[in-house]
Amino acid sequence: MAERDAEIGFKKETVSKLLSSFFKEDKTRRKCTYPTDCLMMHLLICCLIFPEAAVRSQKQAESEDCDQVDIEHFEKILPQLLLDF
Amino acid sequence: MSVDKEEAHQRLKAAVHYTVSRICQKMGEDYRREFSRQVIAAIAETAVRQCDIFAKDLEAFARQQIECLICLYLFQSIYIQNKSEELNQEQRDLKKKSTGKRKSRDTEEEESRQ
Repeated sequence: MAERDAEIGFKKETVSKLLSSFFKEDKTRRKCTYPTDCLMMHLLICCLIFPEAAVRSQKQAESEDCDQVDIEHFEKILPQLLLDF
Repeated sequence: MSVDKEEAHQRLKAAVHYTVSRICQKMGEDYRREFSRQVIAAIAETAVRQCDIFAKDLEAFARQQIECLICLYLFQSIYIQNKSEELNQEQRDLKKKSTGKRKSRDTEEEESRQ
């Protein structure tokens, strides 16, 4: 179970490719290097934000006494989440 | 070429969506509340948009550098830029508190001497 939990997370290569695909200029795309420590930090942030979003949505659903987490719950927590990260 | 790029982008998005869905599934099991598909899609879309914003910020900062190298310092500066004001405020408050305590201690000592 613990092994299965440890597996859940973003892959380093995926985040790296995703970020480099968003670089607009070819010059930047060619020259820019993305060091490992930077990447690890971004990965860490990614791994923090999304479980946090899930937990906050859960709590919102719990406070409204719903059995399922709906989009309305996520919409309610989204502004504060984006301000926090 | 552009079709390939688009396809690669869609694949990356799908990977993020898959990871987010697994995280949500795990959370759902823990709290015994399932996530609707829309929520999972919304969280994945938020993830991709966040990456987009971050990449644009990094590029804008990197353009100012002589070497086009994104270093940890740049990364931290982008992440911390919004938090710096809050941190400064906290530090000021702490200083005020500590000086206030010192003053009160000094006055107590003086009173005891008298």
